[in-house]
Parts: sequence; structure tokens; C-alpha cells
Amino acid sequence: MTDIDPHTDPEDETALDRIASASPSRLGLGRSGTRPRTASVLSFRADHAQARDAVLTHVSEETIENAGLLKVTSLVSDQDEYLARPDRGRQISEETAEQIRDACTHAPDVQIIVCDGLSSTAVEANIADLLPMLTDGFEERGFTVGTLLFVEFGRVDIMDAIGEELEADIVVNLIGERPGLNTAKSLSAYLVYGPERGKPTATKSVISNIHPDGLPAIEAGAQIVDLVATIHDQQGSGIELT
Amino acid sequence: MGRETDTLTSVGIDIGTTTTQLVISEITISSAGLGALDVDIEQTELVYRGAIYETPLLDRQTLNVEAIEDLVTSELEQSGYTPASIDSGAVIVTGESSYKTNAEELVTRIAADAGEFVVATAGPELESVLAGTGSGAATWASDKQKTILNVDIGGGTTNMCLFAGDSIVETRCLNVGGRLLRFNTAGRVTHISNPAALLINEANLDIEVGKYPSEAALHELVDLMANSVFETVDGTERSELTKELTIRNNEYTSRTIDGVCFSGGVGRLIAANDDEDLFAYQDIGGILATAIRERLESSSLIVRPPTEMIRATVIGAGTQTTSFSGTTVSFDESVLPLKNLPVVTASFSGTDRESLADDLRHCLERGLSLYETDQVAGLALALPNFDTLSYDRITALAHAFDQAYDESGYARRQLPYVIVTQQNCAKALAQCLRAISTDVSPLIVIDEIAASDGDYLDIGEPILSGQTVPVIVKSLVFGRESSAA
Repeated sequence: MTDIDPHTDPEDETALDRIASASPSRLGLGRSGTRPRTASVLSFRADHAQARDAVLTHVSEETIENAGLLKVTSLVSDQDEYLARPDRGRQISEETAEQIRDACTHAPDVQIIVCDGLSSTAVEANIADLLPMLTDGFEERGFTVGTLLFVEFGRVDIMDAIGEELEADIVVNLIGERPGLNTAKSLSAYLVYGPERGKPTATKSVISNIHPDGLPAIEAGAQIVDLVATIHDQQGSGIELT
Repeated sequence: MGRETDTLTSVGIDIGTTTTQLVISEITISSAGLGALDVDIEQTELVYRGAIYETPLLDRQTLNVEAIEDLVTSELEQSGYTPASIDSGAVIVTGESSYKTNAEELVTRIAADAGEFVVATAGPELESVLAGTGSGAATWASDKQKTILNVDIGGGTTNMCLFAGDSIVETRCLNVGGRLLRFNTAGRVTHISNPAALLINEANLDIEVGKYPSEAALHELVDLMANSVFETVDGTERSELTKELTIRNNEYTSRTIDGVCFSGGVGRLIAANDDEDLFAYQDIGGILATAIRERLESSSLIVRPPTEMIRATVIGAGTQTTSFSGTTVSFDESVLPLKNLPVVTASFSGTDRESLADDLRHCLERGLSLYETDQVAGLALALPNFDTLSYDRITALAHAFDQAYDESGYARRQLPYVIVTQQNCAKALAQCLRAISTDVSPLIVIDEIAASDGDYLDIGEPILSGQTVPVIVKSLVFGRESSAA
């Protein structure tokens, strides 16, 4: 969020500072007459623009290439359709299914996919640190890892379709979260055991809020590795875990 | 996995100059479940307030360890708890008791008796902080976001702690207390502690062991003490005499305070303001309290009532010493609990692997030369913040650790590897270290704990389904009695 200087006339300035700094929300901004001050309005609009950008831009080819990801796409063909048809963001075409069956490792212990979801910014900000933590951690634990995939216009449940096609034991979906006005960099990791199309959301585990001011990407990576090991041991995910 | 809660039973034991006390509290902690970053202390409830006993001594230099052990055992029985049901807590030896020759042996034994993870602590600074948290001063400062000085006056020492908002600014400790001079029932002086002897010499007072002192001389003595207390409260201009009474002579920050709070045995007498016999305790506590009260009446200080007076320190010890690591710890459970790990703090001059390894090696070498490794359970290496937590940085750090543990000779000693970080990166660092070397084992990495050189660390067994470990950052400083002039 952009910095705002809260020029107001508080009764207790220290107390106000403490309250304002305890939360990233827009607190104690003051006003001019009955309206917010120009600086507040501008910073709000700037943050809103960043949030829109996170939804509407694409993950760069460079990021995808540097991370060594194979790019595929859902049934969605553009941003407008992505927002209007969540169902199509969960499916892959027969051609894509064939493409991944040909190009990817078959039946890995863990299949990792990265989805742009609702924030390309989140993907750009986190995966360079997160992916190597995952691959190192899985290697150390002796899990085989499938071909790393990037899915454009992907929703959470596309992990079921891809996992089913590749017969993966466990799928980890790293997906950009719907941006708020505080950060557009937040990523979530969804995990499922025994993926198949139509698998209920309740059987998925999630580690959310992965961003520099939340759960740092490297620490999230180590946490995901631990959770995958638990899911592997218990042969279940989400509410199936005890 | 939803919100989980756990309740810890915590004991506090304070062995002071004059009194020995025990309290038990129940601390409810919770975490929002997987992915939650923090563990919250939801509630602290004082469930048992023990009686106040006179601290048993064998002679002037020696604490009666057996009698104190019996006292703790019978208090525990009275409370309905057993050492097996106590999860954590602290024993602190305070005031002049910490100067006794067997103070260290005492706290260690009492801590072992009182429960599996009850820790032994000592040190005037820690004592000051605990008194200020137990008296309610810390809560007041935090709730009101104001500055308050807690002044805990006991039998042997006066321990002050300055709180501003949520933080502890500094501690100020003096050898001033109500038991520095003692009488028999007839009113003859039976004992003069060194700090009192210093004042008597300085002011040429006619007070001697075995004689009846004049009331005027006694008043002059407590006036000098009160004067030192007020000079220390003010903090700006202190006389040479006050500096001589000061434990570890520090410079104090000068800032306006919104209030002072008096706790401790003498603190209680200041507040009591009744017609009680001034010499009821056969010491100078009563007249010292009167001298301080009279000065307060003519001073501009605003006195805030504490929530606890004589029990402030013991309550602080029972409720405030344990903290909890972040939820993303990594530990080899088989070696827990670990106690009395000296903390050595690393500072980083660069970010590349070689310079990180150099800095860590220096830090370990310093630790190994300071502490006999056959006497301690290991060294806890505390890391400074290193802002960006990138994959490259954390792997460089892991390599540096592996190298430094080896080259410093730490690895040969077969001690556990304990690392403490302030940032949330414990699991990541542990994963990287395990990937590099299988030799760095048993490995414990805990995060979101601030510890610095000279502190000691105790790490308990995991709670909340293994999400966190209780951690106690403490001091173990046994005083030396100041020599009388």
C-alpha cells in the first residue's frame, strides 16, 4: 500500500499511530470537510489499479521459462471469459490432456502446477523462491516430482483434471489469490490426494497468505513439503486428515 | 484442522531476601491451525496464591536448601497440583538471596523438584521486568500506551523497570531494601548488610550491631535510602552515593513518565499507610516506607496503584517467563526439553556464503571459549534479521552453518544444533540444512524468538500438536554482594 501521512487532529496521537500501524487497513486518514483527502483518494485508486493489474495482466514468458515450467491452458481463451466462466477455468481440452500425457512424467508422487488464478503478480512474486524449496524438499524425502506445469487461466480445481490425466498421487496447485487493496502478491497452495475430476473442495488442504508480508515463500515451501508428507502417510487430504 | 487450544499449568517460585512465595497459574494458548503464523496466549488465570513464608537461612551466607525444598513441596500439596502436572514455570532467586553462596545450587534443585520444565533463573534485570509485569504496570502501559516506572522494593534490593507502551525501555537496580538492617525483639541491631554499612559509614551514623540505635540515626539512614530511590526514579542526576548503591552502574534514559507504581514488600507498606507498628518486622522496612511516602506527598510523581504488591515478582515469574515459538518450528523431538543453553548472537558482515560462514564460525568459537561445553547442553545460535528471505540467501546460510559447525569444532562435541531466528524461516532453514548434511543432527530451529548474548534458553516439549514449543529466554546472573566501604 502507498504511504499516507495521517494528518488529522487526534486526541491521542500515539494511540492513533499504534492503532493505524497495527493493521494494513486505511485507518485514521483524516478528512477534508465531508470528503476524504486527495492523498487518500489517490492512494486508494493506485492500490485498486494494482489489484486490477494483478487480475488482468499475464505471467511473463520469462518467469515461466526461468522456472522451467511447461505452459498449458484451460478451456478459457481470454481474461473476460476467465472472469465470466469459472467452470471453464477448471477444465482442460482433450488436446491439452493428450499434450500433457505425452510430455509429462507419468504417475509421479507429487505433481506441482502453477496457476495465474486471480493474481499474476502473486505468481511473479513468489515462485522463484517457492519452487526450489519444494523440489529440494520432495527430493530429500524421496518423493518423485512430475513435470512442472504452468496453467494459464487456471482455477483451483483444474488440479483435479490434470492430476487425473497424469495419475499423480498428490497435486500441489500454487495459485494467485484474489487481490485485495493491501497486497496483490498473495499466493495460495492447494493440495489434494488422489485427484479426480469433481473431487469436492472439502477434500483439499490449503496453505494461504504466501507473500513477503505474510508467510514468506521459502517458509511456505518447507511447510508444504511437511504437509505433503502427512497427506502421503494418511492417504488423504482436506477433511480426510486427522 | 480448526482452532486448537491447549492449557499449560505454570508455577512461579520467588526466593527473595525476606520471603519465599509460590503461585500457580493456568495459561491457555491457541493457534488458528495449519498456516497460522502465531500462537496466541488467550488467558492467564492465577489459580493458586500460596502463603508468604520467611526465607529460611542456615546462616547469613547460606540459604537453607532443604527447608526451602520442604516448603515448596508442602505448598504444591496444598495447591492440589503435583510436579508431574506442572508444565512450565520459573524459579527466581531475588534480592540478597541471589548473593548467597548456594543460590545457584538452590534454584537448580528447586526447579528440578517443581516440574519437568520449570526453569532456574536469577538476575536483577530479569527480576525488575518480572516485578513490573506481575504488578500490572506493564499491562497499564500497554493498555494506555503510556510510560510507567515500576519500583519494586523488597528486603534486599529495589528493582525498577520502565515500560513505555508495549516495550520495556530499561531496568534500574539498587541495593536498597527493608531488610538491610535487622533488630531483635528488644530493638538491638542484629545485622547490618553491606549496603547499609556503606551508608552508615558515609553519614557517620551511630548504628552498630548489638547496640540500640537512636531513632534519629535510623531516620537519617532510611532518608539516604529514600533519596537514592528518588534519584534513581528521576534518573538524571545521581549522587556518587546512589551510584555506589546501584547494581551494574548504567546510564539511564531521561524521559517523562506518566506514573510510578510501587510493588514488593516495602511497596505494600508504602500503600498501607496505617498505624501499624513501624518495627513489626524487626527491620527498617516500615520506616523506609514512611520516608518514601512522605517524599511522594511533596513530589510531582503520580502514583498508580498496582494490581499486586508483595506477590508481583512471583506472579511475573509464574506467568510471564514462557513464550512460544512461531508455528513453523523444526525440531528433533528426542532431545527436548533442553535447558540452560547459552545464547550466542551472530552478526553478519556480508551476504555471500563465505562471509556468512566466517561470521558464524567466529560466533561459535566465541561461544565455545566462553562456556565449558561439557557443562552445557549446547549453544543456541541467535541470528540477526537478514531482511529478504530468498531461496538463494537461505541456501547460502545453510551451507555457511554446515561449514561453521565443522570448522569451529562444534560438530566434534556431539551437542544438539540449536538455531534461533527472529524471522519466520525455521522450517525452511532446517530443510536446507538437512538437505546439505546429515551430520547436523539433532537439529532444532525455532523462529520468532528474540534472544541476545548472555541470555540462556530453555526449550520445552512441543505442544498444540507439535505446532510450537515453549521457549524461555532468561538470565542466570548470580550477584556478588557489594563490598562495604
